[in-house]
Amino acid sequence: MNLNKRSLVVFLASSLLALSVGVEAKTADPAASEGIANKLILRGGLKGLQVIDLRALRKNDVLVVQAEIQNTNKKDLRLYYRFRWVDEDGMQVGSGEVWKPLMFLGKQNQFIKGIAGSPKAVDFEIEMSAEGR
Amino acid sequence: MKKNTLIAVLVPVVAGIVLSACTSLSQPVERFSRATNYGDSKAVETLTNEFGSTDLQMIAETMVGSLLEDPLLTDRPVMTLGSVKNKTSEYIDTKSIMNSIQTQLVKSRKVKFARSADEMDQGVAELERQNQSGLYKEKSKAKVGNMTAAQYTLEGEITSIVKQTAKAKDVFYKMTLTVYSVEEGTVEWQEEKEIRKTSKK
Repeated sequence: MNLNKRSLVVFLASSLLALSVGVEAKTADPAASEGIANKLILRGGLKGLQVIDLRALRKNDVLVVQAEIQNTNKKDLRLYYRFRWVDEDGMQVGSGEVWKPLMFLGKQNQFIKGIAGSPKAVDFEIEMSAEGR
Repeated sequence: MKKNTLIAVLVPVVAGIVLSACTSLSQPVERFSRATNYGDSKAVETLTNEFGSTDLQMIAETMVGSLLEDPLLTDRPVMTLGSVKNKTSEYIDTKSIMNSIQTQLVKSRKVKFARSADEMDQGVAELERQNQSGLYKEKSKAKVGNMTAAQYTLEGEITSIVKQTAKAKDVFYKMTLTVYSVEEGTVEWQEEKEIRKTSKK
């Protein structure tokens, strides 16, 4: 292609714009460890959100889970999440939770908490999806 | 615009759009982009900032979760539904919120529910039909006077604060749910759920 100087500048600018739209910037791993990663169901990348701590205990005979999430990005992000509970046979407990939105300011750190709806739940996963604000 | 310039702009932009379409996933949010569609009943609904299905479901989940992890439910107590005051400026079916909470609690098998005052007429009518119609075997009849009274009542209120300008609207909802001991009249458990919704006009 025989491009003059002006066309070259426009090409480079457009390429940068297209790259920024089409390719996600390198972001932090969604899970801080392999153990945490095994409990996450991710719909694409989390755009810089990272689960840095995950703990579960039985309280009053129901499973209670708490995850600590860090926005490693300077940009604000919106997380959608829900917990999935399974019984000892691996069958889903309940009819599924509602997706919950949660805003993260840049570099903000927040907890999310889930409580199983029945003592039958013995295991869990967290389904997550993220987008820019 | 010259041909070369046009090509220089179009090629990377089209490539970017194609790349973008390949990499991005939709979010679990109802977008209302089609005239009619079956949506996900668990998706986040943001059609308007009035009280909606996501608010109802989040409130019910929060209340049930908080109650389930409380030691109040250790011995599977008997509860009944009381009233929920709607102190917001909009119509909200508070009975539907309480029904969702009751459904999840019943399914947890951690609580028993006695008929509420609203539901008592049908129960009494069935008892009278069994005992007074002469249609039923004696041993199969439900006996009068054997209902279990509730130890606790679930009562609540929902309030809102609305602020708006010509360009934006902010709505803050707060649902408070309380468990009272019927006998002692004391508050045995209480939880709040706050929801903030903002929208541009």
